[in-house]
Amino acid sequence: MLSDTLLIVFISICTALLGEGLTWLLVYRTEYYKKLKAEVEKQSKKLEKTKESIGESSEKSQKKKIERQEERLKTNSRDLSMVKMKSMFAIGFAFTALLSMFNSIFDGRVVAKLPFVPISWIQGLSHRNLMGDDYTDCSFIFLYILCTMSIRQNIQKLLGFAPNRAANKQSGGLFGTPGQLGGK
Amino acid sequence: MGDVGTVRRRRNADKTETAEKSVSEILQRAIKAESQWEDKDDFLDVVYWMRQVLGLLMGLAWGIIPLRGILGLVLFLVVNIGIVYIYCNSFQKIDEDDYGGVGEIIKEGLMTSFATFLVTWIILYSSIHGH
Repeated sequence: MLSDTLLIVFISICTALLGEGLTWLLVYRTEYYKKLKAEVEKQSKKLEKTKESIGESSEKSQKKKIERQEERLKTNSRDLSMVKMKSMFAIGFAFTALLSMFNSIFDGRVVAKLPFVPISWIQGLSHRNLMGDDYTDCSFIFLYILCTMSIRQNIQKLLGFAPNRAANKQSGGLFGTPGQLGGK
Repeated sequence: MGDVGTVRRRRNADKTETAEKSVSEILQRAIKAESQWEDKDDFLDVVYWMRQVLGLLMGLAWGIIPLRGILGLVLFLVVNIGIVYIYCNSFQKIDEDDYGGVGEIIKEGLMTSFATFLVTWIILYSSIHGH
């Protein structure tokens, strides 16, 4: 069981690195993306400084200035997300195929024992394709998802691909999921 | 051509030195009480990584003891959020409004830390007590 668990962690690390590597190849290293990203970072810092210096001022002209800057930042952030999205779909298809392959390899295997009983709507995932009623038995897909959530995010952060926080706040991400598309 | 290569190597070495210097600078500020944080992102990065380490350590501890069930989950949240809150308010004494409120700081890296904690807890518990 331990060997299965460690293998899943290893698979997760490899797929996270592969995913980020492919995204770097297709997206991050392109001039257009670098230019957009620098623009978004510059604009978000400028917006924060403007908000700090203006503070709680109720002057219309000041508010309009902030709104204009926010709108510009939102547009650029959206463009940035669009650039990433096309490659993300392609990579997503590839990884879905990879995931189904691993899923079939680990089908019906208890890869770990959970120290808790998951709530009912998670049991469908944690006990997927497993025999019996012991819901502390863990399936491949549940552990893989948890590993990916942890490892991918940390790899993005370490490699400097995590999204800019200020820009994220303005745009909310295309799908409202900061940190999942990468790109600091 | 050799000169261009040397200049490029020197520039890359300078960039690496600057990056390493800024990481050690941030680390020094992180362990010193009431530090000044000009770049708010630096402080939030410190909170993020501190949380990841906390998640890992608590997962190891909970898995070895072992702690089970809802108690383990609740205790993780209480300890993780509590330590971050104490670090921000009592140790660094930061102005929460600079970061968009205490909620923004509490949220920083929490989900990823939770995932890290769960993975470590499950692996340790499963390997030591799972049979």
